[in-house]
This record gives sequence, C-alpha cells and structure tokens, in this order.
Amino acid sequence: MNLQHVLLRRFSILLILLFSCSHSMFAQDIAAGKALFMGKCASCHNVLKDGTGPALKGLEERHKWADHKELQAWINNPAAYMAKDPYTQGLKAKYGSMMTGFAEITLADVDNIVAYINDAAIVKVAPAAASGQAPEGDQNAVLFGIISLVLGVIALILMQVNSNLKRMSDEADGLKTPAPIPFYRRKSNIALMSIAFFVFGGFMVAKGAIGMGRQKDYQPEQPIYYSHKVHAGINQINCLYCHGNAWESKHAAIPSTNVCMNCHKAISTYEKGPKLFDEEGKEINGTAEIAKLYKYAGFDPSNPNQWDPSKAKPIEWVKIHNLPDHVYFNHAQHVRAGNVQCQSCHGEITAMDEVKQVADLSMGWCINCHRETKVNFNYDSTGGNKFYSLYEKFHNDIRNGKMDSVKVKDIGGLECQKCHY
Amino acid sequence: MKRISIFFGVLTTAVVLIGCSNVRRDPGTVYMPDMSYSRAYETYASTEALTQAGVNYTATPVSGTIARGEMAAYPYKNDSAGYAMSASVKNPLDVAAVDLKEAERLYLVNCGICHGKKLDGNGPLWNDGNGPYPSKPIALVGDAKYEAMAEGTMFHSLTYGKNAMGSYASQLSTKQRWMVITYVKSKQGAKAAAAAADSTAKSM
Repeated sequence: MNLQHVLLRRFSILLILLFSCSHSMFAQDIAAGKALFMGKCASCHNVLKDGTGPALKGLEERHKWADHKELQAWINNPAAYMAKDPYTQGLKAKYGSMMTGFAEITLADVDNIVAYINDAAIVKVAPAAASGQAPEGDQNAVLFGIISLVLGVIALILMQVNSNLKRMSDEADGLKTPAPIPFYRRKSNIALMSIAFFVFGGFMVAKGAIGMGRQKDYQPEQPIYYSHKVHAGINQINCLYCHGNAWESKHAAIPSTNVCMNCHKAISTYEKGPKLFDEEGKEINGTAEIAKLYKYAGFDPSNPNQWDPSKAKPIEWVKIHNLPDHVYFNHAQHVRAGNVQCQSCHGEITAMDEVKQVADLSMGWCINCHRETKVNFNYDSTGGNKFYSLYEKFHNDIRNGKMDSVKVKDIGGLECQKCHY
Repeated sequence: MKRISIFFGVLTTAVVLIGCSNVRRDPGTVYMPDMSYSRAYETYASTEALTQAGVNYTATPVSGTIARGEMAAYPYKNDSAGYAMSASVKNPLDVAAVDLKEAERLYLVNCGICHGKKLDGNGPLWNDGNGPYPSKPIALVGDAKYEAMAEGTMFHSLTYGKNAMGSYASQLSTKQRWMVITYVKSKQGAKAAAAAADSTAKSM
C-alpha cells in the first residue's frame, strides 16, 4: 500500500515534469513558427526592425512576455488585454494603430512563434553578399594612348638616327651632301602637315558644330544617388509606377516625394543589393542616400507616425533629356498609342546606376525611327491597338494585300508640323 | 632647351589624356537659347520668381473642386471613424462594364510590386523575405480577412494608406482606384477555392 502510494506519487511527479517541459523542450518547432509568423504577424512585424508594429527581437525581455500565457492573452484579444495594461496602451500610443487580434492562436503556437523569432533574431553573417567591383572605366584607352605615344617618340628617334648614319656614311665615302634641312622646314612635309591639319580640324569643327545643343551621354550628378538599376532592375519596379504620367500626358514626370515614401517609409536601409559606385568609382552608401530622401520628406524614421507628408520639400532632380522648346514631344503618344518601350529611347535603364542620355535626340534620330517603325495596326473585336482605327484606307489596303505594313511615316510621321509648330 | 620643350610637350599631352574623363557632367551649350529654352513656365520650373513678383500661383487644385471627368470625392476622413464608415461605401462603377484588362495593368504597375502578380502578397519587393521590404505584404487572394473586406474599406485604405502602405491617391484617380478594387474582387471570388486548396497542399 505504502509502496504503491510512493510509486504513484513518483510517477505523477514525472508526468507533471514531462508535461511542463514539453513547451520549452520538445514542442518548439521553428519551421511551424515561421509559417505562423509569415501568415499572421509579418504584415506588421519584422523581427529586426520596427514597422507598423514594434520589432519583435528580444521580446521575451520586455514587459511580461517571458510568460507565454500573457503573450497569448494579448494576441488572442488585444483590446481586452490593453484595457487593464498600461504597457500595451503605451505601445498603441507609440505606433498609432491597434494590434489585430488572433483568437485562434494557441499557447503552443505562441511557443513556436517565439522560437522562430529568437532564431531569426540571431543575425546570420551572410557570406559577403555579391562583392561588387569598382567599374573599370577607360583604363584601356589610357594604356593604348601611352603606348602609341612611346612608339611615336621611338619612331622619331630612329628617323633621326637613320639620317645621321646616312650622313656619316656619305662623309666616309667622301660625298658632299648639302646641309641637312630639318624636317619641319621641308616643303613637302609642311604641305602634308597643313592638309592633314585642315582635314582633321575641319572634321573636329563640323563634329563640334553638329554636336552643339545635343546632349548625348549627359550624365549629371543628382541630388540623391538614385540607382535605376536597383529600383527598376533588381527590384523590378515598373517604370510607370514612378513615371505614370508617361501613359497619360506629354511628360513622363518625376515622382513626388510621397511616391518614394510609399516604399521607403518601411525600407530605411540599403543592405541586400550589390555595392554601389558612382561614375568616378567612389563607393556609395545606400543607407545614407535614403537618409537624404528622409530629409527632403521631413520623415523621422525613429518616429514614423508623426510624419506629415504635406511638409515635404521637392527634390530638385536634374533634368537629363532636354528637347529644345521648338520641338513638341509627347510621351503618351509614343508609350500608350505607339506601344514603344521606354528602353527604345532611354537605353538599358534597368542596368544604369546613374542615368545617362543614350540617344542624341537629334531630328535625324527621330525621323529615322519614324521611317523604320511599323505601326501596330492590328485590332479586332477582342482587342489590339484601336488608336489607329480611323485610317480606313490603310486598313482596307492591308486587307486586300496592297500593303503589308504601315510605317509611322505613312501616317504623317515626317510632317514638319507634327513636331514643329 | 629643345629637349626640355619636347619633354614638357609629352608631359602635358599625357596629363591631358589621363585627366580626360568620359563622364559627361555638363549639358553643353546651344545655338539659339531663345528658341531652345521656353519663355513660358515649363513643367517643374521654379515658380519662385512669380512668388517674389507677388503673382498668385497655386500648384494644387482649389480644395473642394473636382476635375472634369473625375468622380465625386470620397466622403470620409482619414480617421478610425472614417475607416469604420468606409465599409458602407459601394463601388460606383458598373462592375460588368469595367475594362478588366486596363484594371489589371493598373494593378500590375501600382500594386504588383508588393502584393504580387498572383495577388498572393509575394511581389518582387518581398520575394519570400529576400526582397528589401521589411514586412510581408498582405495576400489579397487566399486570406479570409481580405477576401471578406468590404470594397469601401479597400478604397479607404487605397486612398489614405494603411499601416505600411502609403496613399495611392496621387498615382491613381478615383475611378482608377475603383477599377483596381474591381479587379482584386474579381480575382478573389474566383480563385479563393483554388488558392486554399493550394495552401493546404503545401502545408501537408
């Protein structure tokens, strides 16, 4: 009887021990915690950074959250929990919005989520992410220049040596030679040089004169180092997200600061992309560039809820593609009606850190494209480009096989008044 | 003397060649500035001179006015009371007549980067947590809360922004915002079952 009693008591103690340990030792499943976190928490919480809600790193050291039952009570019904808890009332005041309740979260779920948070909070040292290389620049051109300069000097010296040797041998033979005329006084040389000078000079003058007023390769320094490669290339943001006016108006438009802040309210650091360099090869600190944006926007990342967008100051970007005032150009006509890709005129913008003008924007360049580009005339009841539906004759000609395609020049793409008026 | 001049000639050429950069930071000059630069105020030109001259210039529309062709303004304010009221606002568009292709384009341009091409909350900015965005965008399809969300509430959030999301009122007109919501709702109804089946398959 006594023995039985002792055994029973020992067994029950063991059982209780086992049960109480099960939370902390066996049931913590990081993978399950991650799935729950991503599904329910991640929209507002980040492990490492403050977002809509606070960063969850080290949450067990805060308030009473080491006790997961308290945490569960808060998650299950934040409104009821907050009513008698000043700490969470302070959280709401700081972050400006009330946490959504998740009544279905069990104690085991809380354990799993916390296990995931503690795991994710340990910053894993990434193996030196994509070590960028400084752009090579025009090292080769300089090298070739120096080599040809050295070769030219050697050639001159050899010519001098040659003529000296000839004179010496002539003297040895007893031949009398006239006093040598230096090469720059020889008439044939002077004639040759002046012709070369005029041809080269004329070419350079003509080239300079044609290039005047054109800005091909213009690549100004911008107030903020904004990389199109990072935004439009790596992160695949559509051109029209920021330059939406290109679809609707003459101007492609520069986004106002609030469009930048749509994402940068949350993205305050640059850490996952490749290293950035400006055209001079100087490394750029992406996070510092984002801080410049915050200055313009009047945004304090440590106090995001106090941001007042109406106090933002415009960023004075430098316009790169300038057309003279006597030319009319309309983005919407090209992008929306003509289905022209942005890259056709602006080059591989998704690969440019600092944007550079790729086309010379000369009239010859415009006209050439208008001569060669086929207009997307196809449309039927299901879709296609209906913009050109009023060119009835061309549609009939295509149908009857008289024409195979319509080019921009056929619909007035070469008329002066289309662009100059 | 001659040697020295040659030496210096070579040196200057070398310095000029090395000093040359092919980065063009200067726009250059134009032939006829009066034909190149507009005398009228161009888009984004500074209007400071006007202000200094005492000329009244407003960059924003007069408050309370509605542009031609634009729909009536949204009646509720950006506060919790407005958010609660928003559920009662109905989509003013004729849903059957909405050009869903254009609505899809608007969604992909403006929303897809976060909420994903498939509306699953996994756009390139999140990219399963590998993108730069620190919080997970919500899944518009497959999440019961957002499947059940009223159109008006979506419109309220789209107009004023909600949590991490900013306001899209400057990028999308009232009509375009309703078009996007029509598109999202059209996807939610049809795909909800399939998405749910997919997620259970994944978790198993």
